[in-house]
Amino acid sequence: MRTKYRLGIDAGGTFTDFVLAVDTGEVKLYKSLSTPAGPTKAIENGLALIAADLGVSASEIVSNCDLCINGTTVGLNALIQHKGAKVGLICTAGHEDSIEIRLGHKEDGYRYDPEYPAAVMLVPRYLRKGIRERVISTGAIHTPMVEDDVRAACRHFLAEGVETVAISFVWSVINPAHERRAAEMVRDMMPGTVLTVGSELYPQIREYTRTSTAVTNAYLAPILRKYVAAVDTYFRQLGAKNPVRYFQSNGGLAVGQVMSDRSVYAINSGPASAPQAGLFVCEPFGKKNVITVDMGGTSFDITLVKDGVTNINKNIDFLRYRIGVPMIQVETLGAGGGSIGWIDSMGLLQMGPQSAGASPGPACYGQGGAEPTVSDANLVLGYLNPGGLLGGTFPLDKSKAEAAIRTRIAEPLGLTLERAAYGMFTIVNSNMVNGIRRVSVERGYDPRDFVLVCAGGATGAHITALAREMGIDTVIVPKLASGLCAYGQIISDVKYNYMATSPMRLEDEASAVKIEQLFRQIEAGGIAHLEADGFTHETIDIKRSLDMRYVGQVHECTVDIGNFVIDGQSLDQVKEAFHKRHEELYTYSERHNAVEIVNIEATLFGRVEKPKPQHLDTGTAIRKSLKNGWSKLVPGGGGLKDAIKATRPLIFSADGKAIEAPVYDGSRLGAGDKFAGPAVIEEVTTTIVIEPGWSVEPHASGSYLITRDV
Amino acid sequence: MGKVDPITLSVVRGILETTQREMTLSLEKTARSSVFNLAHDYSTALFNAKPEMILQGQDIPIHLGSLIPAMKAVAKYFGDDIHEGDLILHNDPAYGGSHAIDTCMYKPMFYKGKLKYWTVCKGHLTDIGGPVPAGYNPNAKDIYAECLRIPPVKIWDKGKPRNDVLNLIFTNMRARRDQEGDFNALIGACQVGERALIRMLDKYGEDHAEVCINELLNMADRQMRALIKGVPDGIYEGMAILEDAGHGFGDFEITATVTIKDDGCHIAIKSPPQIPYFINSYEGNSHSGVYLGLMMFAQLPPPYNEGLYRCVSLDFGPKGTLCNAAEPAPHMNCTTTPMETLTDAVRLAFEKAMPSKVAASWGHANGCNIAGWDTRHNEEYVTMVLASIISGAGATPQQDGWHAVGPECCFGALTSGDIELLEHSYPIIIHKYALMTDSCGAGKFRGGSGTCWEVEPLDKDMTFITFGEGRRIPAVGAAGARSKMVERKVGRIEFTRSGKTEVVRKNVIETVKPGDRAANMNPGGGGYGNPFERPVEKVVWDIKNGLVSIEGAREDYGVVIRDLTTLAVDQAATQALRE
Repeated sequence: MRTKYRLGIDAGGTFTDFVLAVDTGEVKLYKSLSTPAGPTKAIENGLALIAADLGVSASEIVSNCDLCINGTTVGLNALIQHKGAKVGLICTAGHEDSIEIRLGHKEDGYRYDPEYPAAVMLVPRYLRKGIRERVISTGAIHTPMVEDDVRAACRHFLAEGVETVAISFVWSVINPAHERRAAEMVRDMMPGTVLTVGSELYPQIREYTRTSTAVTNAYLAPILRKYVAAVDTYFRQLGAKNPVRYFQSNGGLAVGQVMSDRSVYAINSGPASAPQAGLFVCEPFGKKNVITVDMGGTSFDITLVKDGVTNINKNIDFLRYRIGVPMIQVETLGAGGGSIGWIDSMGLLQMGPQSAGASPGPACYGQGGAEPTVSDANLVLGYLNPGGLLGGTFPLDKSKAEAAIRTRIAEPLGLTLERAAYGMFTIVNSNMVNGIRRVSVERGYDPRDFVLVCAGGATGAHITALAREMGIDTVIVPKLASGLCAYGQIISDVKYNYMATSPMRLEDEASAVKIEQLFRQIEAGGIAHLEADGFTHETIDIKRSLDMRYVGQVHECTVDIGNFVIDGQSLDQVKEAFHKRHEELYTYSERHNAVEIVNIEATLFGRVEKPKPQHLDTGTAIRKSLKNGWSKLVPGGGGLKDAIKATRPLIFSADGKAIEAPVYDGSRLGAGDKFAGPAVIEEVTTTIVIEPGWSVEPHASGSYLITRDV
Repeated sequence: MGKVDPITLSVVRGILETTQREMTLSLEKTARSSVFNLAHDYSTALFNAKPEMILQGQDIPIHLGSLIPAMKAVAKYFGDDIHEGDLILHNDPAYGGSHAIDTCMYKPMFYKGKLKYWTVCKGHLTDIGGPVPAGYNPNAKDIYAECLRIPPVKIWDKGKPRNDVLNLIFTNMRARRDQEGDFNALIGACQVGERALIRMLDKYGEDHAEVCINELLNMADRQMRALIKGVPDGIYEGMAILEDAGHGFGDFEITATVTIKDDGCHIAIKSPPQIPYFINSYEGNSHSGVYLGLMMFAQLPPPYNEGLYRCVSLDFGPKGTLCNAAEPAPHMNCTTTPMETLTDAVRLAFEKAMPSKVAASWGHANGCNIAGWDTRHNEEYVTMVLASIISGAGATPQQDGWHAVGPECCFGALTSGDIELLEHSYPIIIHKYALMTDSCGAGKFRGGSGTCWEVEPLDKDMTFITFGEGRRIPAVGAAGARSKMVERKVGRIEFTRSGKTEVVRKNVIETVKPGDRAANMNPGGGGYGNPFERPVEKVVWDIKNGLVSIEGAREDYGVVIRDLTTLAVDQAATQALRE
């Protein structure tokens, strides 16, 4: 029988990660440099790498994949660099400027900075065309649509070379008649133009959010369309059996067609798979409360899962644009291996958000970087191997790291080199801890109830320190940590969100019946979509949620409700779910007050079969000679000391004093090889630092379980 | 515990900032009134036991300076009668408050039986009692005709809520349900802050934390002193005109005299005697106005604390003047009028000291409150319309002013609320919320656009109360900026009844009927530098985007368009005009 694979490709800023799951339970990780100019190029390079490693052709791998999954940054890059398509906006007259007024807000942290520029408009004012029409909050038509205005707008767009059109009218979520008619007219007059209709894309109450989301979608759609066509074609040519699935910011997969139409779902695709991966690696340990942390070269991403449910954000500013659609909540801050240490105008040590990036990189890279970075501090503290990274193939220059820290930090602050390095380590950890607090404490979750999962190449050096600071007792570091997001993608399901708006007070049976009706309606659309993609009744799951609030409140909170029929009898159950959630978030509820709903949302999942999990054999491996003169590691037979490849002085305290600690070769550790910190574990793509007071146990599932000593 | 460990210092600073952020977030998410939760018209701060402000959030600038004298007045009032579990409420300007609709909650935080810190929140309620909904009464001759005054009063006594006192207060306010909800939100935020500070003391110890916090105050002091030292010694005077906002007393001059000597700065304010109209500013509010002018000049990065102001001394002039009002002067409009003019005067004085470091003025707030009956739910409604005060920002030496981000006293911290959410909460139809052609102050860098907010009541008469000014004198430009077309750069209100439009430029209480409309136009920001130096292509781009009219291009920028379709420029005529 032939080998079966599943392939995950996660394109990041610097590297594109490839995870190949083999049906034997083996999971392999590869990395190729990202190629933003021609995104499919990196995929080709990576496949060549895999082909060379396995000794089979790319087409043989692809044609034997049950699924090929792609997390892409093309949408994100277009938005960051403002290289989207030329958009025309059709909106209600009088409200052409809502995306530029931005509710009159200037971002927190920049208020006293007179040079902070205004956000770049994705559609300039001259391409925003107001149409005389108006629906009011009851859904009644106050002003019938003047169709000539739509025609004039189309003519204007044609003359200006507009490639993509967004339509968003006030209250179209309650009565979409005008929007639908305008869409018809645009399709007529501008055939072939990519069209985004606000009430179809994500019909939630909030005109500014909806319009901004529609505009962002329109801005990205032509680009995603092109990208998806290229990738789909490439894989089809390689003999892929199934269409490529793309990873969305909502944490689920989508077929190319959906990605092309609902491109706004693509903007934060990569890190959104971390919660899924975190849950998966925690499953053998029975843990469902998971915080994942992912430290790369320039940024630090945090996600949170409570009781197996991922934190989802809606209505947030993403890269300065208001986005309504649900996105996995990823808190990102400027803290990475390349984050630069500096002394601010108050004389205080700060870390980041500026980063030395990949070039020139940290001082210890020896590529001309003179700024002291987190990696430099970690090297001075003994955490990183002075012999170099990636198994010694990437050399490090410790003297350059020392010089940078000494001149820029230690001397100005009057500290020793070691104390300064530990200070840098402490401050960057403190920044990361504050970030973790934002997704946990600020949302009403006590971090001590969670397991910390380590993702990303640079996180391992900080992981026990972060857990210590947060009061977390259990840490899980998968051996695949540096490619964990790509791994998360290959174990994800297809996921689509559908929404309807119906602001009403939850008072009587009629409101219950209406809610049930709306759910059924939007779910029917989703089911049709999934069935067309080959899913059946058995493999389709539905999750319902309601945006609710107390009458008089303005911000609603999203409440997951079970899959029961909503009627007069179960209405109290719905209300109870809201009271409970409000208590959880804000410490109190107001049971005597009336509750209203704003939006209803159904999430539809097409369940995908998971690849076979990784497996780690028991016992420390020993090296066996082969007949051909080579040698290989064979599990079992050794003692723990066989896995120790060296010892190094490590610094774990503010006084700068070092402790001589063992360095373990991760590839030799077998399941059940328990040991205590202080220690360092070196994997090829990551280094894990175990502080004193923590113990490690490699687990059969391919993760290190690290626990605080009692 | 003598020397400060620089690492712990940075960490403590981070904790203080995070604590304030958590308070702010909690307030936003739980509040009832849209002025809180959509508009972010609230602020949070932390004080030590002295009390000195140890962290000023970046929420709403006009609130924060004023929390310093208010906190001190509250602490002084109770003296040693402060106990664990107390909670103090206050809004009265006679005790350092800004305007009485901004209601403050003060929670003393005890640790091991000792008073260590205060967590403080302040927020703009939708109503504070008095004869006119939403507090702004242009007809008030004294403060008694404006609102319910609340001097420092304990609403919790050693952990026990004083429900009788709370009931007295709520009974005097409109839309009780919203007010109760907002009190809960303020209290919750204070508690969130308290919790975080206790955690900090548990971890770092009282002594260590105190040393760090004192050092943070010293650092802010050193930072401000270094900045002032860089300003040439001298006496600089700035004068700004406060236009007649409908009171009939004519225009007033407000003068700020800034004396710089070495690393110290003294700011003296001169203003005319107070008047029986709601634009008098008590000392607490004037503090904010001056500090805001100073901070706009200083442009120091956060965090902010009271140490910043140690080298600054203030003199608001004799009691009984417009900027140092005495009881019973009416005052409700003071956070914008005359505050914006006061800030302008301070800014203009600093401009003389260091012309290169100054931005233009922002459009002055000219806004409205609305009230009436909601037949959809048979409820009374009242609210300030935050969208109606969103003005244009001033241009800076490097870039155009932001559109729609004012008023200056809020510095972009306000948000105006989604129009659908507003139409859902209140029985209104918002016909327009848009930028306005030619409203940007002209300059080499132009000011930001003001906004027009046009409303119609759904099915019942609406009370429409206007406040503010900036309806005759446009936002002051900087470094040679000037505008010819003043008419479109100033604020105004247009009432359209049965097809006839009436333009109003003063503060009034009007009724708007269903079918009729009221449009509140808010001014744009001032420009920076000579408008004739603005690159022609930038002017053309503004024309293309409807920010500048053909006429405006010629009048304000000296750019002549010869083809209205292609917007081709008449180079010769342009050159002639510009020379």
